[in-house]
Amino acid sequence: MSLYDIIFYLFAAITILSGFIVVTSKNIVYSAFSLLFTFFGVAGIYVLLGADFIAIVQILVYVGGILILLLFGVMLTNKITNVDIRTGTIHVLPGAVAVGVLMGLLLSAMVWTEWKTQPSETPVTTTVTLGRLLITDYILIFELLGILLLIALIGAASIARREQE
Amino acid sequence: MELSNLSHSLNLLLPELTLSIALLVLVLFDLIFHHDKKIISYVALIGLLATGFFVINQFSLSGFAFSTGNESYRNFGMITIDSFGSFFKLIVIVASVIIVFFSLSSDEIKKTSERIGEYYALIFGMILGMLFMISATDLILIYLSVELLSLSSYVLAGFTKLRERNSEASLKYMIYGSVSSGLMLFGISLVYGMTGTTNLYMINSLIQIPHLNLFTFSFAMILIFAGIGYKISSAPFHFWTPDVYEGAPITITAFLSVASKAAGFALLIRFVKITFVSYIDTSGFWQLIHVFDWKTLIVVISIFTMTLGNFSALWQDNLKRMLAYSSIAHAGYIMLGLAVLSNQGLTAMLIYFAVYLLMNLGAFLVVMLIANKINSEEIDDYDGLGYSSPFLAASLAIFLISLTGLPPTAGFIGKLYLFVALVDANMIGLAVVALLNTVVSLYYYVRVLKHMYLTKPETAIPEIKTSKPNTILVLVLLIPIFIFGIYFTPLVDLAKGCITILGL
Amino acid sequence: MVTNYIPIFLVLLAASIFGAAVVFSSRIFGPLRPNKVKIMPYESGKDPIGTTNERISIKYYLVAMLFIVFDIEVIYVYPWAVEFKKLFAQYGLFAFVPMFIFLVVLELGFVYIFMKGGLRWD
Repeated sequence: MSLYDIIFYLFAAITILSGFIVVTSKNIVYSAFSLLFTFFGVAGIYVLLGADFIAIVQILVYVGGILILLLFGVMLTNKITNVDIRTGTIHVLPGAVAVGVLMGLLLSAMVWTEWKTQPSETPVTTTVTLGRLLITDYILIFELLGILLLIALIGAASIARREQE
Repeated sequence: MELSNLSHSLNLLLPELTLSIALLVLVLFDLIFHHDKKIISYVALIGLLATGFFVINQFSLSGFAFSTGNESYRNFGMITIDSFGSFFKLIVIVASVIIVFFSLSSDEIKKTSERIGEYYALIFGMILGMLFMISATDLILIYLSVELLSLSSYVLAGFTKLRERNSEASLKYMIYGSVSSGLMLFGISLVYGMTGTTNLYMINSLIQIPHLNLFTFSFAMILIFAGIGYKISSAPFHFWTPDVYEGAPITITAFLSVASKAAGFALLIRFVKITFVSYIDTSGFWQLIHVFDWKTLIVVISIFTMTLGNFSALWQDNLKRMLAYSSIAHAGYIMLGLAVLSNQGLTAMLIYFAVYLLMNLGAFLVVMLIANKINSEEIDDYDGLGYSSPFLAASLAIFLISLTGLPPTAGFIGKLYLFVALVDANMIGLAVVALLNTVVSLYYYVRVLKHMYLTKPETAIPEIKTSKPNTILVLVLLIPIFIFGIYFTPLVDLAKGCITILGL
Repeated sequence: MVTNYIPIFLVLLAASIFGAAVVFSSRIFGPLRPNKVKIMPYESGKDPIGTTNERISIKYYLVAMLFIVFDIEVIYVYPWAVEFKKLFAQYGLFAFVPMFIFLVVLELGFVYIFMKGGLRWD
């Protein structure tokens, strides 16, 4: 077992354990906080895969942004009807069967597929390549993203703004 | 990307560019003209007409735009312009223009008139997403355009905030939507993991020699279909449809049921055709590469979709909800055309879509005009409408008869071409199922007619007067239904000329 | 290969150990004698008012949305900026125009929210 493997299993364990807490915790705030570790573990795996920029994005956007929005969501909706926001477990058996089948499918897909791989070489920083691709090959995607974000902004304003009484 | 290549690409992208600029202008005008909101509707209309002009201009054009890869190795583009795409774009634009007119006379939208700028900006976002969906040939662009369409429609479904149902519709739409787009994204990632490319043409050439794991590939295809199936509300992914259609403002419901569905179907057809067809034989049948059995999947899903839609519609008392189920059923019928996997089937689908645009929008328009006055969409409130407001009742009746598919309406022509395509492909069993479904659908459409003409209302209801522009709008949708019902050659010729999907 | 990142992992490890040590050492070494005043939430010397799980205003949501959108904007600007010198040498003005359009579109959204009073705090 090389150092690489050890680090990988470390991050995988962090991801899975905290992910497990996210779905099993009864208190939604605890779930949100353990989601932090899930995102963090995923970022670690990205680094191991040589996707350094994506790892930073993962931390910057997911931990720094999405998670905050999630916690805001909890605080926005807390105590609407004097019911605590708690998660419960229902339909255990059908849920377990469905998850089992899905996991079987995914595992068999993962194991038996000949994935397209690239010989591992010294990882170069991906940032520069990304910057180049954004304004050459993927220029259309890039500009469309701008419009998508604009629509997201307008939509958020439309949802969040209070109506004039 | 060289500059010559860029200008060539931009030239092919004129409708989308026009629409994007119109979107930005709309947002700007919304800021500048706070007081006179009327102007925004006109700006929207002008933007749409300009886009429509460029789309019509493109009918003779075809080509690839925005190719990726470096100079030594360049593959096909992210966008493909062809007559098939132009046909669907025209359908989307026509539907959008009609929706703008709808919005001008909808009471729900009038009540939120100070937010009309946002409304049109989001609608333009939807249209832009649809246009890209129709011509995208790269999985990243496909995902992004689906997302652009979804994002705008989530907000629009709950736009008016007048009733609780509104927000419910928005929330349900978003939750279902994010799950299915997540599934689609996962499917895309699997495909990329196996082939190392996101370009549909590249995937096609890579799977010609099947050396990849078919199990995983099929799994990925089903996941991608989940994303598209959600947009066209086909059977296992249709759960959102009734609630969203009922809760959303009726203009948005009408738009979702026609334009969004058209874009979804265009995406599905293009995806199947470009990625999986190895060659087209002399009689116009598409021969698939033996990696994934699209035919079985689509046959099963279309039977499932139309049966479920029709049988659920039988019990609906709310007209919007009934039309929602009927639109699910129609998605099933249209899918039959794809199940044939031939040029003839494609022609039938195009004809059906052109007709479906008219009759479905028409039905929603009349329901809206009636709801504006009596403030209800319940079927019991339609009692005696045939005598109190003969014009609206008669036009609703005609739209519904056309949706059933009875002659001499255009709906009959749409169904006829579909069934002929099925029979020509020796899929008679499927044609029989579809025919039986049509008989079932007759029941719930005629039930509305019965309420309007045969049931006596408990209290006398006043006549619902329509303003002149609205009458004209109804007639604009109504008259072609008769024209195409009798003199359908131009429509069929147009559809036959628009089956070119660039590829191979 | 991944050995390049080992210093970062070490820093992470050191940071988490230090953080945990600071939080838990006082619990371990210090005497634990709680009383009512001591376990009160700390609000800079004032007595706390009300409960902590109040519903907060929807306005925060808009701010958070704005934050995420501009977070994402930065993510796209950054790799472009890193490579800009070379891109400018190769493509000239066309290295600049796409980013300019992207930024204009996004700032339009910001101006829109600002003018519509989305950030007004009354």
